[in-house]
Amino acid sequence: MRARVLVALTAVVMVVALWAPALVAQAPSGTRSFDPTVTDTEAAIKAAAEAARAAAAAGANWAPPRTPWGDPDISGYYLLATYTPLERPKELAAKPFYTEQEAIAAFRKAVESDAEVDPRTVHYDWKEYGMDAWQAGAKPNLRTSMIVDPPDGRIPPLTPEAQKRRAAAQAAARARNPQTGVQIFGNFYTRCVMGLAGGAPLVRGGQLGSDSAAGAAGVSAESQIVQAPGYVVIITQSNSDVRIIPLDGRPHLPQNVRTWLGDSRGHFEGNTLVVETSNFNDKSPGANFQGSTDALRMTERFTLANPKTMRYEFTISDPQTWTRPWSAEVPLPKIEPPIYEFACHEQNYGLMNVVKGAQITAAAAAKGQATSPAAGGGER
Amino acid sequence: MIAGVAAGVTALALVVIPASGQAPAAGLRRTADGKPDLNGIWQSFTTANWDILAHEAQAGPHPELLGAWGAMPGGQGIVEGNEIPYKPEALANKKQNFDNRMVVKVTNDPHRFDYGDPEIQCYRAGVPRATYMPFPFQIFQTREQILMVYEYKGAVRTVYMDPHREAPADSWMGWSNGRWDGDTLVIDVTGFNGHTWFDRAGNFASDTLHVVERYTPIDATHLMYEATIEDPAVFTRPWKMSFPLYRRMEPNVQLVEFNCVPFVEEIMYAPLGLYKPPSK
Repeated sequence: MRARVLVALTAVVMVVALWAPALVAQAPSGTRSFDPTVTDTEAAIKAAAEAARAAAAAGANWAPPRTPWGDPDISGYYLLATYTPLERPKELAAKPFYTEQEAIAAFRKAVESDAEVDPRTVHYDWKEYGMDAWQAGAKPNLRTSMIVDPPDGRIPPLTPEAQKRRAAAQAAARARNPQTGVQIFGNFYTRCVMGLAGGAPLVRGGQLGSDSAAGAAGVSAESQIVQAPGYVVIITQSNSDVRIIPLDGRPHLPQNVRTWLGDSRGHFEGNTLVVETSNFNDKSPGANFQGSTDALRMTERFTLANPKTMRYEFTISDPQTWTRPWSAEVPLPKIEPPIYEFACHEQNYGLMNVVKGAQITAAAAAKGQATSPAAGGGER
Repeated sequence: MIAGVAAGVTALALVVIPASGQAPAAGLRRTADGKPDLNGIWQSFTTANWDILAHEAQAGPHPELLGAWGAMPGGQGIVEGNEIPYKPEALANKKQNFDNRMVVKVTNDPHRFDYGDPEIQCYRAGVPRATYMPFPFQIFQTREQILMVYEYKGAVRTVYMDPHREAPADSWMGWSNGRWDGDTLVIDVTGFNGHTWFDRAGNFASDTLHVVERYTPIDATHLMYEATIEDPAVFTRPWKMSFPLYRRMEPNVQLVEFNCVPFVEEIMYAPLGLYKPPSK
């Protein structure tokens, strides 16, 4: 086992030498520098793991530089996609970390599953345009789940009122309301109301298997952090959503003012940016994040762990939904600039057919006719 | 940490370095690299979003529903010379735009842009219109990039200062490269997709639009904005617009999210039978 690992690492060193310039090269905008000699998926994944390990080692005694006005400089472009699932598989409850080999195997399984499409369904093949998380730059992660607390890596139990809300939502979904339309249809990403990181943590986690929502989570997962005196701004390429975070300690907007992306306030604790977000609106009849309510509060922590990686942590609390807060962590690799305008709503040519299809399916279900399974692009 | 930041901000406020050949704007703050500090929230106060040319007050659309709420205020215009030099065929298009300015005909292809003011459907305003919409915008300034975030639709625009970058594709807000000309921020904007209008009156350009903006600080709370508009497919010559930008001064002022997509789903999709308000 050890000898095989050493041999693999030797190959990895050579592959890293080939990959590193490709990753760093200033590709013409819109294209990706691709090394045609690296055709072996396993070798490429191992190279990515090795690069991540090297980056982590480089961060051991490192602190980020400062902006000209003295804040830690965490600005740059980061990838919000991961194959690490939000929740730990139940059989791994006591296992918060993979070994490196297991992490590579799990990552590879997710990459290959992401690349599968069911030829029987109308599908969007993300990988054909390099839009899957792997081609976008997602890296293997030793954690078996994004959730680190509760210790079993799973979302805590729902409150009784949240259980009632979920049962009602499931019944409504089963009823397949034939009056469905743009609003009841309720998929904010497909409506271009918010991007995939909207109203929620920036990273929601991949799931093993070809779940279209998880696949979509790898799409346009690029983001940019911009800093100016007294502010941090986060732009997510998905829907070109923007979050402006004042750092001057001002109060939140009044409680009666509610927004889709919430109202954020931040401050630095050492080198970590801490962001508190509240004032989320109630997104009913659409789905709030993980079935939460407008009482949702989110605390995020951004720490540039090494020159190539941002450690992103978040804590979610909603006493109307969960019996206790829960927390997650995931590394975000730095990526090459720039990001682009995502004029989702302006050019939402597909929405008409998606909603028409939902109406046809709902009408058929109301008549008791068999329908094909519902599939969406980012259904939560 | 907080003391250090406060000291830094105080230092910024006290340093005033006159640019050569220019009297320094009164009270102008500068960044660490000596440039005017344009960070903050700005807003224009004209009626240009209704019509960039001079216009009298008028009843707006649907006065039977909106009364004075929907009425158009009078304004003196922002166009130098109060004339837009359209080519004759383009002037006919402008009139057609005006006649059809409230038509909403959504299709699943670019024909949806054939009619109607894009503002009605919550489409991005483009440049320069986003600057004179009746909404504030915020500037975040670094040496390498200047980010502008417009409250209207949360539209973002990155101005590449160093390095400059080439537009990879057309977009609604265009692609911006900027430089300093003394104390004036000059932004060269190209890469427009031709779908934006200048106002609700149907003034328009095509995808060969080229805008050069100049933001000149007058003092710490006023900028003078000037934009030169060029589009050989539409206009016989370049023309200019200008107006002041005012710094928003309220304590704790911020952009308040204006996500208009949910507000326009009925007007866009109900005619197609795709909008059914949830029964409560």
